[in-house]
Amino acid sequence: MTSLAPGSQPPRAAPIDLATAPAVRSKPSPLRWGRRLYLAANSVILVFLLAPIAIVIVFALNPTPFIQFPPVGVSLRWFEKFFASRDFMHALLFSLEVAAMTTVAATVLGASAALAIARGNLPGSRLIVATMLSPLMLPAILTGLALFQSYVLLDVGRPLWGLVAGHTLVTIPYVVRTTLAVLHNFDVRLEEAAQNLGASPARTFFEVTLPLVKPGVLAGAIFAFIVSFDQFPVSLFLVSPGSETLPITLFNYLKFDLDGTIGAASVVSILLAFIVVIALDRTVGLRSYVKL
Amino acid sequence: MPATGAPRVNSLALLILPSALLFALFFFLPIGLMAVMSVLTGNPVVMPNVGFTTKHYARMGNDSYYLEVIWTTIRIGLWTTLAALVIGYPLAHWMARIKSRTGHALLLMAVLAPMLTGIVVRTFAWMTLLSDKGVINQILTSLGLITKPLQLMYNETGIIIGLVHIYVPFMVLTLTGVIGRIDERLEQAAENLGASPWRAFLEVTLPLSLPGILAGSLLVFALAISAYVTPILLGGFQIMTLPILIYQQISANFNVGFAAALGMVLLIISLSLVVAYNHVLGLVSGQRELQ
Repeated sequence: MTSLAPGSQPPRAAPIDLATAPAVRSKPSPLRWGRRLYLAANSVILVFLLAPIAIVIVFALNPTPFIQFPPVGVSLRWFEKFFASRDFMHALLFSLEVAAMTTVAATVLGASAALAIARGNLPGSRLIVATMLSPLMLPAILTGLALFQSYVLLDVGRPLWGLVAGHTLVTIPYVVRTTLAVLHNFDVRLEEAAQNLGASPARTFFEVTLPLVKPGVLAGAIFAFIVSFDQFPVSLFLVSPGSETLPITLFNYLKFDLDGTIGAASVVSILLAFIVVIALDRTVGLRSYVKL
Repeated sequence: MPATGAPRVNSLALLILPSALLFALFFFLPIGLMAVMSVLTGNPVVMPNVGFTTKHYARMGNDSYYLEVIWTTIRIGLWTTLAALVIGYPLAHWMARIKSRTGHALLLMAVLAPMLTGIVVRTFAWMTLLSDKGVINQILTSLGLITKPLQLMYNETGIIIGLVHIYVPFMVLTLTGVIGRIDERLEQAAENLGASPWRAFLEVTLPLSLPGILAGSLLVFALAISAYVTPILLGGFQIMTLPILIYQQISANFNVGFAAALGMVLLIISLSLVVAYNHVLGLVSGQRELQ
């Protein structure tokens, strides 16, 4: 090493040749290496994102009652245990029920609010939008805590409507955002054209505005369903011991047991989520999803 | 006041009322009540003579334990945000710049899949990966690289890994939108003028994506400091954060006043961040208008 470094310096001609020749040949080389590094980094990130999901599926199918790697076989016993468990089934149905009610409430309220903001010429609409999106920015656990304290003060217990109201509050921003995005993107002149052709404001609204807004409202509704179904921090304070949502039940189970039942429950919810994503892709297309 | 010539408020504006009512009754009123509860000596419904007190805040300020909990929460939030940005940016850049539609759809699926999997499920996944007998330790042991299992969870590192995995999709989706709107020709122009792709990125794309970086970071930080499931399971009850402490005050001690005061601290941290964010965003966009 030490003999090479000084040795290569004195003869001037050779090093220049060596320095220029590869430089010419591999001129795109730094670019190509940068590109490779970029793709390699992104591949590692994708593995980081997806490996945990793959692991969950492996453990759901693994027959041993404890976490063992590499897996020793394939069995459906954890799925049987999950579907046979009254607690899990009750929680799954309750979660679906709450998510369905939340979706309806958040969609109706959020979509009408978005219409009012975009077409009602409200003063201070920027502030209204910021307010409507604020449940996203404030820690959701605070929404749960504040609602819990209010229900305690009002002495109403932990009613179902209280839980749905909490969920609606944290899912409304998604509906408002997707609906507003669609409302801002479509051409107001379509509405003006309809009115110029003699349509009444009401008819314009139902035959032009509403059909054009539908993809945004639908995307928001699906988002609201997913967020409500997976909602943890708000539910934490608002569920009552007898009726808990699936995430809470899974969490309580996880504190004591680490077996494949959680894996099976996870696979079931992953499948549910994928059905929702495919529904989203079929109805509004995944692309509109990102341009929020 | 509407400017002259601005279109008049019409009947569609009335559609805001149901949401306004929901926000008033189930958001602003409860948070106001929480603020009031944090300075009361007790529950005004059960106790007839309640008075104002600052004892809940004094308890926090005088006990280094609570200050340590607040700092731990902020520290975990900061590390999570930083890691989510470092991990999320390349992916968001790739998603924004990829030409093939199929490629874009696949990447989007990869980002949305974990997001749709659920917080509890993903935390469970990380427990199976990071625990003493978890996948990572078993693989490293069987390869003969380690003899004693690495302590990957029940500490802050484990919590941060779990939180980054849960919140990185939010960062990616926020950044993708912003990077996608940056005109690619600006980068090409910089390269035509002799800048390396790296330098073109550093001096053109990165500064222009600053609003997205700020928005994504704010979102991830707000989510990370309010996380409950991941810190409790991956921290194994060893690490105390504000949300865990708040829930503990309610479930174990039913100390509603102190929980409210802790909630107010969390609220103030979040609100000051939103204010700082708007201020910085104002500076950033102001600079661009000058240029």
